[in-house]
Amino acid sequence: MASTDTATSHLVAAFPRFLDCLAEADEYAAVDVALGLLAAGVTAERILLELVAPAQAQVGQWWASNEWSVAQEHAATHISERVVAAVSSYASPRPVRGRIVVACMDGEWHALPPRLVAEVLRLRGWHVTFLGASVPAAHLVSYLHRHDVHAVALACAISMRLPQAHRMIEACQRADVPVLVGGRGFGVDGRWARRLGASWAPDGPTAASLLADEWSLARPPEPDLAHLTDDEYPALCRRRAELIESGLADLRERVPAVGAYTPAQVDSTTADLGYIVDFLAAALYVDDAGLFTEFVDWLVGILAGRGVPSAAVVRTLEHFAGLLRDFPRAGRFLAEGRAVAEAPAALSGG
Amino acid sequence: MGAQLVTATHVRDWDPGDGRISTSNPGRVPTRSVGSGGPSTDAGAVPPRTHLAAGVFPPDWSEIVAHFREGLLVCAPDGVVQHVSPGAARLLPTVRPGDALTASAVPELAAMATTGERDGDLTHAGRRLRVRRVPLGDGGSGWYVEDVTEAVERADALLAEQSRSAFLARVGEKLGNPLHPDRAAAAATRLAVPTLADVAVLVLAPRAGRAGWFRAVRDGAGPAVVDRGVLAVGGLPPAIEQALSGAEPHTVDWLVEQAAGAGWLPGPAEPDRIARVVPVPGAAAPVGALLVTRSADRPFDEGEEALLRAFAARAGAALTTAVLYREQTRVADTLQASLVPVEPVATPGLRWGTAYRPAQAGLRIGGDFYGTHVLADGGVLFFLGDVSGKGVEAAVFTGQLRQCLQALRRVEHDPARLLGLLNDALLETTQAHGQGRFATMVVGVARSTPDGGAALTLAGGGHLPPLVLRASGEVETVPLRGMLIGVVPDPRIGRVDLRLAPGETCLLYSDGVTEARGGPLGGEMYGAERLVEALTGCHRMPAAALAERVEQLACDWLTDGDHDDIAALTVRADGGAG
Repeated sequence: MASTDTATSHLVAAFPRFLDCLAEADEYAAVDVALGLLAAGVTAERILLELVAPAQAQVGQWWASNEWSVAQEHAATHISERVVAAVSSYASPRPVRGRIVVACMDGEWHALPPRLVAEVLRLRGWHVTFLGASVPAAHLVSYLHRHDVHAVALACAISMRLPQAHRMIEACQRADVPVLVGGRGFGVDGRWARRLGASWAPDGPTAASLLADEWSLARPPEPDLAHLTDDEYPALCRRRAELIESGLADLRERVPAVGAYTPAQVDSTTADLGYIVDFLAAALYVDDAGLFTEFVDWLVGILAGRGVPSAAVVRTLEHFAGLLRDFPRAGRFLAEGRAVAEAPAALSGG
Repeated sequence: MGAQLVTATHVRDWDPGDGRISTSNPGRVPTRSVGSGGPSTDAGAVPPRTHLAAGVFPPDWSEIVAHFREGLLVCAPDGVVQHVSPGAARLLPTVRPGDALTASAVPELAAMATTGERDGDLTHAGRRLRVRRVPLGDGGSGWYVEDVTEAVERADALLAEQSRSAFLARVGEKLGNPLHPDRAAAAATRLAVPTLADVAVLVLAPRAGRAGWFRAVRDGAGPAVVDRGVLAVGGLPPAIEQALSGAEPHTVDWLVEQAAGAGWLPGPAEPDRIARVVPVPGAAAPVGALLVTRSADRPFDEGEEALLRAFAARAGAALTTAVLYREQTRVADTLQASLVPVEPVATPGLRWGTAYRPAQAGLRIGGDFYGTHVLADGGVLFFLGDVSGKGVEAAVFTGQLRQCLQALRRVEHDPARLLGLLNDALLETTQAHGQGRFATMVVGVARSTPDGGAALTLAGGGHLPPLVLRASGEVETVPLRGMLIGVVPDPRIGRVDLRLAPGETCLLYSDGVTEARGGPLGGEMYGAERLVEALTGCHRMPAAALAERVEQLACDWLTDGDHDDIAALTVRADGGAG
């Protein structure tokens, strides 16, 4: 085994080569880079955490900044998954600890981060079952009933899915299986995990130590969702289609270019309107305007890359605020979102 | 006579029993007053003070007070007991006229007398008493003593009953959820502590000569810690064996020793520990035996024993359900495993990708199917299709189709002729069984070419036409038609030959993708145009990533979880690189 310093220098040297492989969608070369590191004595866990994970974070940034297409990101992710498979088949210790199920929330397709957590746990002796991307709650629960599961690790990368995540967390807790959650969807510091009453781990090593601590695992934080009694969340969900339709009509009326959109552009605009409503709903669910403003900041950046001015977002948020006069919390979040959209450069740092 | 009940002299010497101011009545506790010290016969010896006008006949207070349910003590301003009503004498036999209450043998009264507290609860001579002190006009005080024993007991019993009901409700709720037998057993054992026991052991009915046990031990104030083990049948304590045979062992003296002998108690058998064992009832025989032990401070009264048996009944129901569920899922899993699509094997020059999402989320199978077979000449037969119907029946039919294809490809390599044979075979089967099942499918044979590309021969039986992702980034729809398979003899079968340049991909998919209903507005069909648009420019994606992307596009489009089976299969000419 290489010394820590040597291993670090190997990893640092391999990182740009690995990114090139991802950019070229060259699966074989990417696997070779990882296997080369293994041969040089770098541990499997360090390759996963210090090569694959940061490369994936970089890919995510390129996608978010519109430098990469969804297809490119998807291909790179697939290659990273192949690398993970190659690395973990190289080092597969005999499981000596309990069974852990790792899964993505229903509707959640970012399978690589939880896959990395799964592999780190496997390397640390847990018996890990990885159920993959977008696992329906019914499928997960039926798995829990068929196997004696020590704990479930659920991943959610997009805050928009937090209400669904909460239903899934509850389904596991009802099956009497401890749950821990991870992923950017729960906020960078996991604050929305605590709000939903779930233990939170930002990465594989943290998840491993939490799983080993049965005392803490059996005591998740109390859910803090008293604000849901105002029924703004379900009421907003019911009005989802109406809001999107009306939002699209409003844009057509006020922004002449929208009238000339191709069907694909209309689809993508409709999808964006859907995201605005869904993130607003998620923000209502966890009662945090920050969830919504973070999203608005991101959306404005993405749209700028596509040549859509932030004024269109401001316009839509104003329009929604007009339709949601009976929603005090939503109104407040929309106002805060508008403030962010009006000053995007200041907040997003460019 | 006074208008108030409150002066000592007014109540002096009243007869307790028959309502007359009379001579002693030995059958009753007599009233005692200062100076009398016992049964008194000197009624009227002290002239009463009266504020009433002469000629108005006052009520007979002595008689009235004697009938009060409350007892009454009257104290002089200096705290010395002046008078004890018959009721008070019965409730507080140690309090006698002439005593100073501050020095009373009843400590609670002494405390009240000292602190000036107005209300107090106390237990005296086995009765629960409530005392209420009222200041009197002459500076003395009246002490009303109420026997609340029955009310308190009723309230306690009600509370105990309520807490038992609440406990059983919680147990029912918690035990209804884990359907895995080990988890159900662990949950039942954990729930028994601390309400029923400090240490609870659930021994499961032995299987193959060994009995698994779960033990919950209370760890300080924290929740119970559950561990587990296995005992050979011969090593089970006799009381457990007896309970497992269905009889509740009633001789319980040696139970604690038996539990200690089995190693279940944290320490040696303590003398102040008590235990009970009850059978955990199952469908026919008990599914287990529950042993509970706790400190002798908390004896098992009738209500507690009923609670224990009610708990065992619920645990038994949960365990029985879990065992039944396990047996059924084992059957279902075995059958499902034979119907789950088999992933393509890696072949030189070709890369494969698949995606599969059955309509019923709890199932892993559905009416879509795909597969590959390597042919003797090095080509790869591949297929993707969709049968009529949904769920398990449809899945069983896909299994028949796949087996048919598996056998037929040994005699026929040409996809179109293979589909024709499959059609005949299906028609025969469906006619024989009278079931009108049919399928749509694409069957193809792929052969890699020396230039890194691939040659594909495709045959279509009424299925959605495949797409080809060209190296230019464009997406072509393969003009492949044909009729449903399994409906008419000698159907028209479409046939197309095509070539993939290195890096080009052919995609087969089921209508679950294009007929996905949803979109931002809900209810709209995804459609082939959107799919083509979304895949344009995706030509560099690896085959597996492309299949996943198709699945994701369809699932993202869906607004609610309800959808048809979704399947995709991709084959990519490797081109020697990616």
